[in-house]
Formats: sequence, structure tokens, C-alpha cells
Amino acid sequence: MSQDYRIGGGQVDRTREITFRFNGKAMQGHPGDTLASALLANGQKLVGRSFKYHRPRGVFTSGSEEPNALVQLRSGAHQEPNTRATTVELFEGLSATSQNHRGPLEWDLMAVTDLMSPFLSAGFYYKTFMWPRAFWEKFYEPVIRSSAGLGRLSMQNDPDQYDKGFLHCDLLVVGAGPSGLMAALTAARSGARVILADEDFAPGGRLNAETLELGGMAGADWAAQVVAELVDMPNVRLMTRTTVYGAYDHGIYGALERCTDHLAESGGKPRQILWRIYSKRAVLAAGATERPIAFGNNDRPGVMMAGAVRAYVNRFGVTPGHHVAVFTNNDDGWRTAKDLTDKGVEVVAVIDSRDKPAVCEVPGARHVRGAAVMDTVGRKGIKSITLTDGQVIPVDCLAVSGGWNPNVHLTCHQRGRPEWRDDLQAFVPGGALPPGMAVAGAANGQMTLAAALAEGQAQAKAQLEALDHTVANVELLQAEDEPREAAAFWHVKDSKKRAWVDQQNDVTVKDVKLANREGFRSVELLKRYTTLGMATDQGKTSNIAGLAILAEEAGKTIPEVGTTIFRPPYTPVPMGALGGRARGKEFRPYRLTPSHKWAEENGATFVEVGNWLRAQWFVRDGEKGWRDSVDREVEMTRNSVGICDVTTLGKIDIQGRDAAEFLNKVYANGFAKLPVGKVRYGLMLREDGIAYDDGTTARMGENHFVMTTTTANAVVVFRRLEFARQCLWPNLDVHLISTTDGWAQFAVAGPNSRKLLQKVVDKEHDLSNEAFPFMACGEVMVCGGMPARLFRISFSGEMAYEIAVPARYGNSMMDVLMEAGREFDAVPYGTEALGVMRIEKGHAAGNELNGQTTAHNLGMGRMVSQKKECIGNVLSQRPEMVREDAVKLMGFKPVNPAEPLIAGMHFINRNAVANMDNDQGWMTSVAYSPSLGHSIGLGFVKSGDTRKGEILRAVSPVHGREVLVEVVSAHFIDPEGERLRA
Amino acid sequence: MPEFSLISAPPLAGYDETLGGIRLRAPEGLAIVSIALPLGGEAAAEKAVKSAYGAALPEMGQSVLAGDARLVRLGVDQAFVIFDHTEPNAEGVVAGKLKDKAYTTDQTDVWVGLEISGAGCREALERICPLDLHPDAFAVNQAARTVMEHLGVLIIRTGEAAYLLLSASSSAGTFQHALHQSMKNVS
Amino acid sequence: MIIHHPLLGPRDAAEFVYLGDASLIDRPDWQAEDAAQAFHAYGYLRDNPAGAHQELWYHEQGDRSWLVVTRDTTTHEITQVELARDVARVRGRDK
Repeated sequence: MSQDYRIGGGQVDRTREITFRFNGKAMQGHPGDTLASALLANGQKLVGRSFKYHRPRGVFTSGSEEPNALVQLRSGAHQEPNTRATTVELFEGLSATSQNHRGPLEWDLMAVTDLMSPFLSAGFYYKTFMWPRAFWEKFYEPVIRSSAGLGRLSMQNDPDQYDKGFLHCDLLVVGAGPSGLMAALTAARSGARVILADEDFAPGGRLNAETLELGGMAGADWAAQVVAELVDMPNVRLMTRTTVYGAYDHGIYGALERCTDHLAESGGKPRQILWRIYSKRAVLAAGATERPIAFGNNDRPGVMMAGAVRAYVNRFGVTPGHHVAVFTNNDDGWRTAKDLTDKGVEVVAVIDSRDKPAVCEVPGARHVRGAAVMDTVGRKGIKSITLTDGQVIPVDCLAVSGGWNPNVHLTCHQRGRPEWRDDLQAFVPGGALPPGMAVAGAANGQMTLAAALAEGQAQAKAQLEALDHTVANVELLQAEDEPREAAAFWHVKDSKKRAWVDQQNDVTVKDVKLANREGFRSVELLKRYTTLGMATDQGKTSNIAGLAILAEEAGKTIPEVGTTIFRPPYTPVPMGALGGRARGKEFRPYRLTPSHKWAEENGATFVEVGNWLRAQWFVRDGEKGWRDSVDREVEMTRNSVGICDVTTLGKIDIQGRDAAEFLNKVYANGFAKLPVGKVRYGLMLREDGIAYDDGTTARMGENHFVMTTTTANAVVVFRRLEFARQCLWPNLDVHLISTTDGWAQFAVAGPNSRKLLQKVVDKEHDLSNEAFPFMACGEVMVCGGMPARLFRISFSGEMAYEIAVPARYGNSMMDVLMEAGREFDAVPYGTEALGVMRIEKGHAAGNELNGQTTAHNLGMGRMVSQKKECIGNVLSQRPEMVREDAVKLMGFKPVNPAEPLIAGMHFINRNAVANMDNDQGWMTSVAYSPSLGHSIGLGFVKSGDTRKGEILRAVSPVHGREVLVEVVSAHFIDPEGERLRA
Repeated sequence: MPEFSLISAPPLAGYDETLGGIRLRAPEGLAIVSIALPLGGEAAAEKAVKSAYGAALPEMGQSVLAGDARLVRLGVDQAFVIFDHTEPNAEGVVAGKLKDKAYTTDQTDVWVGLEISGAGCREALERICPLDLHPDAFAVNQAARTVMEHLGVLIIRTGEAAYLLLSASSSAGTFQHALHQSMKNVS
Repeated sequence: MIIHHPLLGPRDAAEFVYLGDASLIDRPDWQAEDAAQAFHAYGYLRDNPAGAHQELWYHEQGDRSWLVVTRDTTTHEITQVELARDVARVRGRDK
């Protein structure tokens, strides 16, 4: 195809030609083109089908407000639906396809939908397709869904990369049109740190699209000159292709920078960056958006916004038609007629809804006063228009101007409520703007160039002064300052044909009227009932007409009807950009234990525990499943010695003269009298008396304790301890610091644990039971003078120790322990074996400390001291929490040892019906016990401590399973604790 | 001779990478010891620090180079001493110097360090660091704890275009990846 | 949101963890006659003002200080930020 519609002038680079494809057809354009301008240059009027009725649609605007020209860009996994051809920058090899049609774009089989439009009016899916009922889900909905809608996802993983970032500035200027450039220049020359962001690839805003002059210089040239100055200034960051999409609290703005979307390949760099901009102050200079007028068949390809026609002619050197008519309700529309004729494009008529003289001379054009366009003809492109006076005028493009709406969107992102201005017939920023934001230029209703420039400067100045920043003076150039009159004229009442208000959602004037008749009279309800203003364009061109028609129908004024306000984002933000780098393995941080490398080399399977990767079990040759490995690890540990990396447990170093008193307050049991060199088990309660964490705390010195927490609660416990230290007992001398990652800690458990450690710990330390009994702790030397900490504590129920060395020696320590243990057949064990052994021993863990259980439930009620001040002890004594028949932690074993148990089973009395009325409690943890040769479980059962020996039904309706179990002590192994103390 | 010996293997040991003029390197042999100032004993502790290091404990958000040690103030009653020391007895060294006037805890292995330097390093940090690192806003020797890519990070500006970053040693892989990716994305 | 830390200056709220009403500082006397009642009120009863609200924030990814932040719940405007430890002492927590 040739560029039959390319005319002279514009800012495209005609020395270079770009080849691109639309629906497979090769076309040419130039650098500086958008996809839309290039399509128009090639005479491609029809670019897509509408959402609901599959109406043929063309390019309607020249910016991000575009409702119609949505295309699928690129192919394969890179395919991106619903990109606006009006903002896509042309690049060599670009490939776009049209959306929402079956068969070719020109012969869409679904166009039949348009004939059914009487059945598809607003809210049709609430009223029709109701019977038979089963048809909705199985037939109607799938059919409607597949026929409606816009582009299609690739259904593949997005291969592009995205990034995020943080920027800081004194002044953020949103929009690089005349007022934005003036604001940025003022602040930049004043030495402030400035960020100037614009969604376009060419800064300048409407200056690029108009023929306006500043001080005798072409507007676009002035913009280029200012940009050149700003780019060179170290205090300025000019961000083109960057949409500031949201205004958040305290001067924070969200912005999306499209880094490589204008290139054929991203080159391995992030495609887009989501910026969080911290601004001290901001000037919103977002400009204005032209709005259409609704009339019969106003959605045909070739019907365009008048300002967009000017943009194509002036900026891109493309005329959307060779025989153009202009339909306007205001003076601004006349500019289009003038600019076209100046470029030698034929303007056949200017139709002004106002009965007033011509605004300017338009040679060769009919001026039709006080009339309107009533209907259009042309299936795939406009061929003629019919006026209210009956005239039929052949055209191939109709430029429509219904006046301009200030882009107030970001002013509404917090508490702003736009206010109506009669003189502009438009909403301007109102109510409480986001703190720190000022609005300038067309966005604030300053509709002339001179006013926009002046306000850009004034707002920047005011913002800098508010920051106590000096302000440099910037000369204001002479510019056009003629007020332009606009009339309140929203739709052509004489039109009998369907007149579109919202082209993206196929909402017509009739739909708005219907909504009003059916009682959806508030703007919010109108929006939701008709879908007016929804989808990717968020009604940028359609909202006001919708409100105006609703107001008219309801006999109210527009300000009485009010407006819906706007939420972020201003334009769509891809999910990929919101996700940033947080994909796949990078979704969250991972933490490795010090012996991770050793574990990897020795057959470990890893499990995620919070962010940690822990060895779950270590497989050996010949083992067929995880149970083989786990059973072996348990048996070998209990028979000789096993080693487990327990570094993940939280470790908090606590020091201070009042450290003991502090611990006494945060633990339910006493700690004040713990001797130096001893460890004690501690239970922590929430203030409401619920148990929330447990662990051991060792007294390393008079004023020095080392606390351990569960892996899961390490962060929360630290936070709460700081709360207790700073907010509850601020005058205690106590200091906290986490050392979780600092020490590689290993459990060495089993009857040979002492013998093993005696080989590793330096000889001067006496590890005999007398010198280092159960619950002893101390600093020792290992491997010839390396510092270590040794704790005689046991989670497995065996004689056991935990030994800690500085983490950088952890991997080596694992090697050493295994080497030293070789003669005892020492075995590494993972979290599964650890879990089995703790269940065998009856130790509570996360399943038991589930945020609902008390010390009383756990059988540790007597540990909660009432003789001291501590968190949780007062409320733990509430009557309901110390009931005699409260559930108690017990052990359970299947009557038939061959039967496995399931965690989550509920206990029911033997002869009772299995329902919640008869619920006796629930099973929290289960395991196959290699030591006992059958399944065992821990669980809570009512009055459990008095029910040993009773047989209960353990029922799991979810699994359809039931097992008879006997209530036993939770301590399946060594209930007297003889092994611990051996 | 003891039967067994332990080998030091800190995470990221030996890591040193340059991309697009930005260098990212894991410093070796950095010891870190925290100092807590006793309640009511702050003045004595600060005095002990000054006589031990010849420099006063800096204000919050600041660090100071004192001989081969860097003192970093992290909180009202907390500071770090960062110094070159490979033996696993850093805490004892600092405690000895402070003569029991402050509580000390070894933090060496709690953290892993990465040094980022070069002309574009601030641009790389912009991708993950929420703090304003503009030279006027974050002067040489300033220090701050913040969050980058979900990780807690202590960042210290050590030179015109050089920063020392410390983060939890267990998540060293994520930490290194975050910085490497940032360098890659801006280079 | 940005919280102006009294010692560190403006910091992104992402560095902080929110707890809630600053009345949590006023932990009742465990030995008082009405301790059970007082702890019930302390644990469960909160004002929910539309307007200025004193609340506790923890600078977890920072200096680990607990702060009392006065924030307008209708606008998010923050009018005062204090170290909770200072507030606690002023409120008479003498231990």
C-alpha cells in the first residue's frame, strides 16, 4: 500500500521509511509516526470491530484516550492485546492485527450481532437469556463472552522483563505540554530537582499538534528548544514515554515508563519500569481531552475528533481524508477547518451547532449555521453525512468537536471532587486536591496558550516558594489568548438512528435514557448499569456526554447530577509491570541454612519453611520413597546419633542489667532465677492469654541471655519484644539484637551424641553428665580453639545437644560432625524426622500453637505464673479459658496398628453421631512412628487428661475415613525423660 | 593438633563482578560487632567508644571512619563497629576496647556485605532502594537501614560513588541477585 | 505513605509495620482489683475515630523504634510523630 494520505509538513522523519504490517499487509511509515498515523497515511480507515455489536471502527483520536483503535501488537508470547494504535510508536517490523472479529476484519461474521441490537440494550444480561435457567452457564454466557470482548491473551508466559524503581524530586511536573514545560523550565532554572514526565514520546503536548506560535516561533520549535535545555541540566530528569498514572499519599506518584515498547526487541532490558516517585511538590499539567457529540451512526470509520484531525495533519503530515467536513459546537473546531485548508486539504463544510457567523475564513467550505449532523452513511468508512436540514454531503472524514474536558483525573485520586464551570461547559479540578499538587494549564481550565504558559510558570513558582526555594524568572513569550466560546450541545436530538456515547463499550444515547427510565439515575449506577466509561479508556471521551444526557432526561443540570470520580491508573498498567521482578524464583527472597551446600551434596530434598529452604530428608541408595528415608533417620538417631541443622530457629541476643526481669515479663513462666549456665523452656502468651510461641532461653551470663524462638515466629517475637521494651517497660536496661543468621546451630541427638561431641569439643571442656547435665549451656571451644556455644537441650527426646558455631563455619561444621560421627554411624536428619521425633516425644509445635490454644489446653497451665507481672497471665485466667472440660493435648494411637491417622480428624465418642454437636476435639499432628511401628497422633480432646485409655472415633468426613483410636499420653517415647538426662 | 578443623566459607566469598562500569564485590574479612548503650550509662559508653576509637559515636543516620573501623549509629542506643578482622573473636576485641561500658554482640556472620561502586551505581540502586541517594540528600558517610527487594539492608555511602550494603547472610543469594539484576538493567 | 521519623526524617511506610491504637501503651496494673476488666478493655476496646488517631508504627526495616504517629484517618495527614518510648515515659510507665 502507498501512503496516499501523506501530505507535507509534520515532525516525522521522511528521510527514513519504516515497513510494518497490519493484518499481514505490508505498509510504510516514518520514524515519528504512531501506528495510527501510519495506518491513516496508508488509507487504512477500518482498524477494528466494536466490543458488543462488532461495528466497524476506525481511529477516533490521536492520544491515550482512544476508544476504538485497539489492536493486538506483536505475536507469539510477546502478543499484547488492546494496545492503542494512537500511542504505539512505529518501529521497523511492527506487526499489528485487528481485534474482535471472526473471519477477516472487512467481513466479520459476528457483525450479525449488530442486527440483534434491540435485544442487547443496557443491562440486557440482567433481563434476557434467563430461560431455561441452566442455559445461562452452559450456553448463553459462553456465547456472549466469546462474541464480546476485545483482544486475546497469548496464553503463554510473558517473556519480557519488567523493573521497578524509586525517584525523588522537589517538583514533579506531569505533562510536557506548554504549561508543563513552562513549569519545569521555571523550576529547573531555579535549581530545584525536577522530574518532567509525559506519556508521549515527543514532549510538547498540543504544541506539536497545533499551529500556535510563541513570540513568533512555531510552538513545536519552542517545545524542542525548552526540552533541549532541560535535557542538559543535571537537576532535571525528563521522562518521555512515561505515564504518571496515580497520585498517592504524601506526594508519592506512580509512573509507568515504557522503555523498549518502541523497539522491535527489548535487548534483554526491562520492557517497562514502574516508578514510585517521591515528590515534595507536583504540578499537574495533564492538558485536556476533546469530547465528541452524539448523533446517528457517529461511530463510522472516518468520524474523528477535530483536534485529532489537526494532530494528524500538523504533527504527522497525514490527512485522515481528502474531503473533510467539520462538525462543531465551539470555536475550536474551526481551527481544524483552517489548518486543513492551509495544508491544501479540501474542507467541504463546517457545520456549527450555533447560529453565529463564521469564526474564521475557510475557503471553499460551506458554512452551515445552527445545524447538526443527524446521520452518516458508509459501512467500512464514512461516505456522506446527512444534516438536520436535510442536506446530504459526501465526505470521507468528519471532524467532530464537542469542546474540551480538562484532564482532572489525578486530582481525584485522593479526595478531589471536580467542579462544573459553565463558561467552559466542563468539569475543572475541585475539592481537596492531593496535598502538594497544583494544577496548571488546560487541566485547570486555562484554555488559551498564553494562559497555560502563565499558569505553568505561576504554579511552579508558588510550589517552589512553598518549599522556601529561590525562584528564577523565565520570560513569558507572546502567545494566542483568544477566549473560545463553547455551547452546551451534547447530542443531536433529531437523530433517529443509534447515536454512540461510549464507543468502547457500545453504549448509545438510547441506553443512557433507558437507564434513567429504569431508575439508574445516579452517575455511579448509570456507569455500572450501562458500562459507560468502563474498560481501557475509562470513558475519557464519553463520560461527560453520558452525564449530560442523563441530566437532560432527569431534568437536572450537570452539576446537580455530578460526576463519577477517577481512581488510578490513568491509563492501563500491565500486570507484568505491577509484578516487576517478582516472578518465578524471584517472587520472594529465599534463605539458606549454613549447611545447605553440604545437604545438597548429600541427597537432601528441600522444603520451604517460610523463606527458608530446609533439608526435609536425605535419600540413600535403595530408598524407594520419603518414608524409607525418614524412618531410617529416626531409627538411626534413636539408636545412635543424628545431626540436624536447626539454624532457622530465631535467636535473639538479650543483654542488660534488667534482662532477667524483662524475660520474666515476656514469658509466662519464671526466668528471674534461672542460673547462669542453664537453659529453660519458655512459653510466650499473647496479651489475650493465647499461647503464641515457645522456645528455650539460655543464660550465658548474669546480664546476658540467648533466646530461641520458633522458625516461623522469629520476626514477630522480636517485634513484640521491642514493643515490650520500648512501650511497656521503657525504663528497663535491656537490649535486643537478632543473631539468627550469625550462628550455625546443629542438633546432635541420640545415645551417642555425647561421645560424638567429645571428639569435636576441645578437651578442656568436661561434657560428662555431671559437669554438663540436661539443660546446661555454655561457651566452648571446638576443633582447636574455635568459639562455639553448646546447649544440652532436646527436641527429639533423646540425650541431645545443640552446638552453634559462627555461621561461616557452618558448612564445615556439618562435615566435621559427620566425620566425627562416622564411627557411630551418625546420620543427618531433616525436618520430617525432626517432626516425627517431636510427635513421638509429645512436644507441641506450630500445629498445636495455632493461635487458638492456651497453656491450659497444652497441659502447661501450671507454668503460667500468677505471682509476677507477665504478658497474658491476667486474661489467661478468664473462666472460659480455664474450664475443667477444656480440650487438652493428648496422644492418640489407632486401635488397629495397621491403620494410619490423618491430621484434622475430629474425635467423636464411640456411640455418638459424627456431627459438630458431638465434637470432642481434633487431631493436630500425625506421623508414622518407626519406634513404635504404627501411626501416632497428637491432638486436643475435651478433658483429655482424664480420658486415658478411652476409645474414640477419629473421623474425617473430608477423606471419608474413620479410625478407632485410644487416648494415651502425648509422650509416646520415654515419658519419664530418662534418656534426656542420661 | 586437633583431630578436626573448621573452614570459613562466608556466603558470596570471592564474588566480584563489573557490569557497564559498575562494580559489585563482596568485601572479605569484614567483622561487625554491635554496641548497645546501657540505659543511664550512655555517656560512659560514648566516652569509652571515643577513647577506644578516637572518634565520637556519630549521630543517627551517620557513620564515621575511625582508623580501620567504621562506627555506624543505627539507633538511639545501638551502633555497629565494622572493621577488617578475620578471626572469629571480633566481639571480644571490641568488648575489650570498650572495657564493659557497653553491651556487645557479634554480628559478623549475621550479615553479608556487598560493595557497589562506579559512575552508574546510584542509577542501579534506584531500582531497588527507596531512599533518596542524591549526593545532597545522602552524603558520604551517611548510613541508613531500609528495605530492598523485601530484604532489610543497611546502606552506607563510603565514597563519592561507592556504597557498602549489608543484608542478612542467609538470604545472600537473593541479595546478590537483586543488585546484579539492577546493574544489568541499567548497564 | 511517608512517615517523618523524628530522628531519621521522611521514610516510606513500607519500612514500617502497623500495630494500631497507641492506647496499647497504657497497659493496666496487673494487681489492681479490676485487673480482669481493665485488661479486657485494654485488649479489645478501641476508639475508631474519623479524624486524628494516635497509632503505633514499628520501624522494622529501620532503627527498630516504635513510634506514636498521629494520623488523620480521613485524609492520612500525619501531624505528629514521636518515639513511643518517650510517650510511654510521659504517660508514666516507670519500669
